[in-house]
Formats: sequence, structure tokens, C-alpha cells
Amino acid sequence: MTIPSDCSILGKEVPVSDIEIELKKLWEADDASTHASLMNFAVYSEDASALACNSSMVREITREHACRAILVGIDLDDPEVGMRSWITAHCNLANGKKAVCCEQIAFHLAGKVVGRYRNSIFAHLQSDLPLVFWWQGELTDRFDDRLYTLIARLIIDSAEWAEPRAQYRLLERALLQDGLVVQDLSWTRTYRVRLAIASLFDDHAGQAALPKIEKVNIVVHPDNLQSGLQLLAWMSTQCEWAFANDMLTSDRAPHSFSFQSKGGKFIEAQIVTDENSLAINEVTLSGDDFEAKVSLGENDNLIHLVFDIQGIHVEESTPAESIEPQDLVRDQLSRGGKNSLFKKVFPRYIELMDRS
Amino acid sequence: MLPAAMSNPFREDLVSRSRAEACSVVIFGATGDLTHRKLVPALYNLAVDGELPHGVKIIGFARREKSDDVFRSGLEELNQKVSRTGHDPALWNEYKENVYYHQSEFHDIDGYKRLAERLDAIDESRGGAGNRLFYIASAPEFFDVILENLKAVGLNNSAEGCWARVIVEKPFGTDLATAQHLNSVVNNTFEEKDTYRIDHYLGKETAQNIMVLRFANSIFEPLWNRKYIEQIQITCAENLGMEGGRGGYYDKAGALRDMVQNHLLQLLSLVAMEPPTDLSADGVRDEKVKVIRSLRQLNTPELIKQNVVRAQYTAGHIDANKVPGYREEDRVDPESMTEAYVALRMHVDTWRWSGVPFYLRVGKRLPKKATEISIHFKSPPSVLFNAIPGAASGGNVLVIRIQPDEGISLRVMSKLPGTTLRMEPVKMDFHYATSFGKGSPEAYERLLLDAMAGDATLFARRDEVEEAWRYVDHIERAWHDSDHTPEMAEFVAGSWGPKEADDLLEQDGNSWRRL
Repeated sequence: MTIPSDCSILGKEVPVSDIEIELKKLWEADDASTHASLMNFAVYSEDASALACNSSMVREITREHACRAILVGIDLDDPEVGMRSWITAHCNLANGKKAVCCEQIAFHLAGKVVGRYRNSIFAHLQSDLPLVFWWQGELTDRFDDRLYTLIARLIIDSAEWAEPRAQYRLLERALLQDGLVVQDLSWTRTYRVRLAIASLFDDHAGQAALPKIEKVNIVVHPDNLQSGLQLLAWMSTQCEWAFANDMLTSDRAPHSFSFQSKGGKFIEAQIVTDENSLAINEVTLSGDDFEAKVSLGENDNLIHLVFDIQGIHVEESTPAESIEPQDLVRDQLSRGGKNSLFKKVFPRYIELMDRS
Repeated sequence: MLPAAMSNPFREDLVSRSRAEACSVVIFGATGDLTHRKLVPALYNLAVDGELPHGVKIIGFARREKSDDVFRSGLEELNQKVSRTGHDPALWNEYKENVYYHQSEFHDIDGYKRLAERLDAIDESRGGAGNRLFYIASAPEFFDVILENLKAVGLNNSAEGCWARVIVEKPFGTDLATAQHLNSVVNNTFEEKDTYRIDHYLGKETAQNIMVLRFANSIFEPLWNRKYIEQIQITCAENLGMEGGRGGYYDKAGALRDMVQNHLLQLLSLVAMEPPTDLSADGVRDEKVKVIRSLRQLNTPELIKQNVVRAQYTAGHIDANKVPGYREEDRVDPESMTEAYVALRMHVDTWRWSGVPFYLRVGKRLPKKATEISIHFKSPPSVLFNAIPGAASGGNVLVIRIQPDEGISLRVMSKLPGTTLRMEPVKMDFHYATSFGKGSPEAYERLLLDAMAGDATLFARRDEVEEAWRYVDHIERAWHDSDHTPEMAEFVAGSWGPKEADDLLEQDGNSWRRL
């Protein structure tokens, strides 16, 4: 079996059968620390070399979210079937006083181990605590209903997928019928932008402009096209814009769509991908006499809001947040909830993908 | 003018709370400590967290001559020290552009006229009429004149589709008569639905968690009554005395007015209330006020003597430092008869709580800072274990820690490991800070946001305030106006209060929980 590189970060290697005994010893050896856990947090990757990196990310996440972390890395191509495990604890100072520690179990699975990873995880879950499952990379046939029925919250990142539409097909039933809470990090990336857009339409001037929207332009990095589609799906769902079938698909520029508002106004929307752009670079909503723009500052980590209407010019800024995966996961776990807005927007997002 | 407010579809479902609306926040008493230490940092933290609605402007109204820039610099200096989220110079520079200073005497009507013009200009720059939130954080003697002048220049009225609201800081009166007077002045100026009487204890995470704990966990509510609960204790201990010149205010108020009438009775009502029919502001407050109304009135000197202990501290030691007695404190009358400690035995005369004593204690210069509520359950019948030598007895105790170290613990009996049957109490403990690494927002953040959202659930209603004063007034009168004034007890600073307070519980076979 191939040994994962840099496994020292994973802690002490222990026999799989002794994991719980070794964890107990770990806690008994340290009276000064408090052991805390609010959930089981599993991080699954079919890239076995991701274990070390995931361990570092979990260390960051446990600063805010006490959990029992279970890391799984699978090397399916390894001809030798085998399984190794490590335990460690991530300790952080709470309020600068007490060390609060979260335990981590890491598994490296090699060879054709379909089914075995599931048992490895479920055997080490803490009872009564929810299971949050971060599936990294493409969903494979190892993601099935036997797995997701045990998950309280599934974290995925559609930005990592080569074929998002096909991938979401695997999730559709779980999400819409079986009530699985799915949190797509592409959607989380749009959160601050959505807040910023919403804030532009809070006051009278903004609200007066809402029915006048004629054009939506979203600029994203090509890797973040899904975030762009989800943003547009959100806007069109919330404003109750219907698709306008006034153009054949072949006539349209890539990722451009026509909508019609309830008031009968036509809205042209386009998502522009730009290699030089930041993840979600800019969103502009405009009409005859107004333009509302939300853009990410390149160097200042701020979202800039500009609103021009009938000679009134307003400029403001609001903090942008990190879009690193561990920060997005941390953010998402803080908000909790059933992700009902994403569920509401999801059918339109699927339609946009189909029409894109 | 642009059309009246419509709903913003982009806001729907975005955050799971009532939506705070953009407004101009006018703070009266803007040069005071509260504005610098709490209010402006709270608004800044909300901005950092992306929770502050776009377009919120802050106008500080005070008497001292100051420019916008000087006012902003003073705020920045303190924000650097106290902000929960840290101080980000880039964000502060953005934020401060929305902060202004308005100089005027509180009684100068022209100052209010100029304020109205200034607010109109701000609204105009945003394209129309706007919402206004007036925060009265001045000394209480100016409450009347501020409210009257707001009305005189029409600032209590809002444009169509907008709102004008007022937040009033404590103390809300000094007795029932002054509270009623203040309420009538407030309600002559603003409607009750637009009046927000702030009690920052209700903005604390753990205070809000009381309802969740009670009504979202099926294991507690069935036991939450006279059948299973023996007694309830509410403690609010301070290790500080009269530092920083606070003796001037405190010696006029005392522990009963300063803490019991508002914070402690609010906590008591959350613990003792019936389940509300819904989570609307009035749904919750209707139930809370019923509790205050159901308090058994201590309306004779005898009853007060039997159920209330007041005390002052004498010189002692706290954290190995020598501290003066209450009457030797800065700005305290050397012959003061103001209580720095009070303990009460109270009864809530309802079906649920009949016969269950509620013990409250609050004081300065106690050994440590701690606010908590403890629910003491009745002991189980001891027919099984009472024959065991050395068996510890005692019922379960559920403790809700309000501050610091917010959390919940439950004391349960457990068998000690070993070959013999021995029992000891053990504690199951939940700490907010340990379980949730992310810090809670400050109470003022939550409350300011709620006021901008028009959600008055965590604010005291007129009848709550008046009923609380009605209860407290009997005691105040017996202490200060009666011919048989009860004695002022004493305790050594750094101890857990006077012996008389221990005796109060001992009469019932109980004792104060050791914190």
C-alpha cells in the first residue's frame, strides 16, 4: 500500500481496531484541555494525498466549530487493498483562557474498497450528534442513498465539477424529495454579493428601480460559472421573472438569457466569464434611468456598491469575506439552517444550466 | 416623491430574522460613555458583519461644541479598544463617513429644527423620505425635554411609508409615578408600537436562550412547575464597587432600582412565564407581564421585613486588594442609606408556581462577577438510597449562566465508581464559548438591529415597566418613608452578602447556591 506523503500532520498512527481506545488515552493524558463536540464532521476525498491538506483545513474550522472530525482519503488505483488510521486533536484557546480540543480520526484507504469507507466512518461517529459530510471533488457511484440518508448536511463544491448538470442529477432526488440539506460552496461564495445586492434595493430609490430592471450583467471567473448561474437563478426566482422564449438558443451569446417580469418588462441577462476576473467580479443591474453595481475590490477585500438613479449617486462598501474552502465551510456551518433559499432557487438554477 | 416602501424580494429568505431597515439613527447624549463604548461600536460591528442595512446614518446630538471630525476621532479611539470584531481602519474610514455630529442644547428648540433640516437633507440625498430612529441615551433628567422638543418640530411623525421610532435607555423612571409620567410623555410623542424601552439583559444570548431551553426541549417543560421545582434562585453578583465615579448615580438609585426593577424582574418573567401563543412581540410580552402582575405584593412593612434584606458592604478584600466600605466610596454620602445589596424572597401567585419561592440577590463587592439563574428540582423520594451511609442527597439543579462564561449546566446524581454503592452529584456542563467558537454579538447589536426591524420582542412594554415599579415601590417606601424602617444589614466586601440574607433562605430550609 502506498503511504500518503506528509502523514505526520495526521497525528499518531493507530490500528483501526484501537482507534477509540487510543482516543481515550489521548484525553486521559491531558487534564488541562476541554474536549468539545457539536457534530461529526466528515471530509471525504478520492484523492488520498488530500488528507494532509484537509487536516490543516479542519484545524482552522475547529476554531469555531467543535466537532469530531473524520477524514477519509481513498486511493482507488492502489493495487494493494489496505486501510490505515491516525488520530490527533486540534486544540484552540477559547477566549484566550481554556484549551478546547476536537479530536480527528484520519483514514487512508487503498484499493477497491467500495463500501468499506462507509463502515469506517459510521463506526466512529459520536452518537446523537449530526453528521456533516464534506464531499470533495466529483460525486461518484460511492455516493448513494445508503450514505446520504445518514447525513444531516452535505457540503459540495460545484466549482470543482467538470459536469455540474450531470452531478446535480445525482443529487436532485436527495435534495428535492428526501430533504437532504445540500450546501454548495459555489452558492456560499455568492452570499456576501447577495447581501450587497439586496441592500441596494432596501430604500425607496432602490425599490422604485426594481420594476425597471432591464439588464443584468454578471462577470465571473470561468471556474465560478456555477456561482454566476446561481446568482442569476436567485435574482430571477426572487423577482418572479419567467423565461421569455423570444430567441432560439443558437441565436444567443453563451450564458445569456431572456426573462419577462410580472409587469411584462423584458430583461436581458448575461453571465460573462473572464480569465482575469476575480471569482465573482461584478454584478450590474440596470434600467432606463438607473444602474446598480456590486463589484469586488481587487486589493481591499471590500465589496463596492454603487447606485445611480435620477441624478442621485450613492457609493458604499461592505466587507467581502474569504472564499477559501475552509472559510466557506466555516461560514456555512455558522449559519446552519435548512438552506431553504437554495432549495427554492434550485429548480431555476437547473433550468439555467439546461439552457446555458 | 418616490412611492412608499414596498417589499424587497432580494431580502426574502436571505437571513432568518426580521429585516432591519435603513434609517438615520439620532443619538441624544452622543458624547457620553454609552455612545462611545456600546452604541457606535455595536453599529460598527454590525457593519463589519454585513448586518447593518445599507444607508444607515448616525447623528450624534449633544451639547458640547464639536466638529464631525473631532466626534469621529473620539469614537474611533474607543472603537479601537472595545470593538468585538476588531478595528479595521479601511472599514472604519467607510463607516465614519456616515457619522455626523449635531451640536445643540437639549432644551433649545432651534437645535431640533436644524436637526429636522439635516435629516431631510440626508433623506433627500438618498432619494426621498427616510426612516428615523431616535436613541435617548442622555441623563434621565433630559428625557422629557428631548421628547417634547422632538414632537414640537414634528420629528415624531414619519413620512408616508416610513417610520419614526424611539429607544429609551434605563432608568425608565425612579418609581411608578415618574415612570407613568415618562410613559405618558413618550406616548404623547410616539405610539407605543414605535417605543422601544431597552433592557440590555434581554439582548444577551443566554437570556434569549431561556425560551429556547424551556419550550424547544420536551424534557424540561413538563417539569417546569410547582410539582417538580422546589425553588428558583436568581443571582447577579458584581465584584466592582463604585469605581469610575459611578457612586454619584448609584447612591441615588440603589440595587433595587438599578437592577431588580428591570434586569432581574425581566429574567424572572422569562423563567416563570407561560408558553406564549406565538413569538410575536406582544405574544411574548403579554405572558411576561402576567408574571410581574402575579408577583405577591410585599405591601406592608412586616412583609418587607420578612422577605427582603438590604445591606451595605464594609471595607474588605477582593482579589487580595483592599477595598473601601460602601459609605467610604467616591461620591457616596458617608451617611448613605442606599442599599448596595438586596436579597428578596418572592412568590409568583399562579397555578404553575404556587408555593415555589423565587430568591433574588444582587449586590456590589461580592467575590466575583456572575449572573445566573438556578432551578432547583425537588429531591426524589429517598426510600431507596437513604439507608446508605454517606449517601449525598439533593435534587437536580439546572443552572443558566447569563454572564460571564455563558452556558447551561445540570447537576445530576451519579454512582461513584467502586464496589460499594456511593452517590455524588456530577455536573453536565455546556459552555457557549467552548461549543460555539464564534463570539456572540453584543446585546446592543441585537437590540439595535431589532429596533431597525420593528421587532419589539426584546424590549420592555409600558405595562411591564409600570408593573415592575408597582412591586418595587412598596419596598422603597417601606425603606425610606415608613416609621418602622427596616435595618440596613452589613457584610464584609468580598464575602457573599450579609448573614440576614442567608437566614432568609434558612427559614425555608434552603441555602444560596455557591457560585
